[in-house]
Amino acid sequence: MSAVQQRGSLTQIELAGVTGLSPATVSNIVKELTSAGVLHTSPSTRSGRRALQVTLARNLGLVAGVHFGTRSLRVALADASMQVLADQRMPLAPDHRADTGLRRAALLVAEMVESLDARPEELLAVGVGVPAPVDVRSGRIATVGMLRGWDGVAVTDVLAEELGTPVTVDNDANLGALAETRFGAAAGHDAVAYLRVSHGVGGGLVLGGRLVHGRAGVAGEIGHVTIDENGPICRCGNRGCLETFVGAPVLLGMLASSHGHLTLRDVIARAQEGDAGCRRVLFDAGQHLGVAAANLCNLVDPEIVVVGGQLAEAGEILLGPMRTVVEQRTVPSTAGPVEVVASRLGAAAEVRGALAVALDTAGVSGSLGVTV
Amino acid sequence: MTGAPPEDPPGPVPAAAVHALRGVSKNFGGVRALVDVDLDVHDHEVLAVVGDNGAGKSTLAGVIAGAYRPDAGRLLLDGAPVVLGSPGEARTRGIAAVFQDLALCDNLDVVENLFLGHESTRGALLDEVTMERQAWELLGQLGATVPSVRQPVRTLSGGQRQVVAVARALLGSPRVVVFDEPTASLGIRQTAEVLNLVERLRERGHAVVLISHQATDLQAVADRFVVLRLGRVGGEFDARAVGYEDLLAAMTGAALPTDRKSSR
Repeated sequence: MSAVQQRGSLTQIELAGVTGLSPATVSNIVKELTSAGVLHTSPSTRSGRRALQVTLARNLGLVAGVHFGTRSLRVALADASMQVLADQRMPLAPDHRADTGLRRAALLVAEMVESLDARPEELLAVGVGVPAPVDVRSGRIATVGMLRGWDGVAVTDVLAEELGTPVTVDNDANLGALAETRFGAAAGHDAVAYLRVSHGVGGGLVLGGRLVHGRAGVAGEIGHVTIDENGPICRCGNRGCLETFVGAPVLLGMLASSHGHLTLRDVIARAQEGDAGCRRVLFDAGQHLGVAAANLCNLVDPEIVVVGGQLAEAGEILLGPMRTVVEQRTVPSTAGPVEVVASRLGAAAEVRGALAVALDTAGVSGSLGVTV
Repeated sequence: MTGAPPEDPPGPVPAAAVHALRGVSKNFGGVRALVDVDLDVHDHEVLAVVGDNGAGKSTLAGVIAGAYRPDAGRLLLDGAPVVLGSPGEARTRGIAAVFQDLALCDNLDVVENLFLGHESTRGALLDEVTMERQAWELLGQLGATVPSVRQPVRTLSGGQRQVVAVARALLGSPRVVVFDEPTASLGIRQTAEVLNLVERLRERGHAVVLISHQATDLQAVADRFVVLRLGRVGGEFDARAVGYEDLLAAMTGAALPTDRKSSR
């Protein structure tokens, strides 16, 4: 059951391989669960042979994933087999407020459920990612000043009241880390470090398949690792944080006098077209990221470092210099240098992670009809 | 009003204005809808015009897009004075507009709406194949989710109709696209679609003028704000630095227009 849930859909033969059960046993279990209405099978072919595709039945309900970025909101709906059924992005104002943002998210979720011809009760759980440290036990934003207008907001309570479903909140980079570990570039790796480099910089750590939250959700906040003790003051109140070197306002500010008003996407596009100034900005950002990532690697020694967020779309222009610095600054290992790769899920990583925790919540609370 | 513009735009706005209004006034009988309005529109930028009801927003949209001729003042395209006699003339000069009512024909399908009045022909016949292909191409670029281009427009949702209206405005790739109240009467999903669309237009290098009283929607995509109040420009702001309260104050007149460039 959990094998099907984690992979979305797979054939009966693959299911046997994954669970280590014999094909006949799997076939019996699948038959039983299909008649109980938990699984859904459809004929398909796999390497030219007839096979039975196994998915969770749609009538088990829906889950929603919500990702608040610094400048955008993304909402996705999936069924119990992690099949994404609807996905919608929406730009948000700079310094958007918690009250209007959460209300918009709730409205968007409700309208999207309706657009799938589903009833509101079919929504089993909602996972939410926000770009600030979150105390996952209380569902509150755990810091002050990191996300203006959201300090101390109890995201869980507000959304749960609007939507009438269980809500799980986590830091967006944590959710990205979880998604890349389960479905993306870090699948099959243990000890995964994920860096989300967008308007701000966040990070997430997955050890033994579980997210590391720390005492109150600040674990993995790599954006606030000190790069320069005498550097500029950061929005968090410290000096010389990684974010004061690679945050979007800083990168765009460096280009303002020569290139005018640009967005991050403009910078990436121009760098790929060969604009020297934009390339230089991304090159330097890669080096700074490398310094912070190397420190992290020396502490945690992850198998893989995944770089996500909008800046990762720059590809090797950013990752090349980052990799070089990481290699230089980590303790040489007989296992060779740590792998540094771009996110595979791209901009969808965080929302996929939000869907995954929503599904976990639904499974735990028993709404799926079975405990997984 | 001074002479031809050696203009110096505030802040880091590099290029000269594509389209500029200088000292524009417009009266409807005794009503002074616009009074001495200056406005610059730049490539690759979203300019948001906000204002209360009756602040002159729609009139301004009309003047920019050639639907109204100003009673006083001048329009400059790439720095050269022009007179826009009609929306059609504005279109040929690269200015397209999507008005509040969208002006679509409900009984016609998407392709017919897009090419109404300037159909592609092959000999004496309409070249349906080319038009349909162009329609799909255009809708694809806009990331539209229209089920079929042969569907009558009345069967489409509010957001989809908006996309069709925008697609029609984009035929002939205009440099300036003006939207008058694009998110009024739309649900949240459609609003999201329209805002995404505006972002995409900006990325493609169009100058976009958004006119609305919904400041929150505009804040999501705008680069620059101009606040209209009782027909006059009540303030100009950099979208990165301005808060909702500042806009509201300028719209209602709670704050005096002190931030206006005084160097003219």
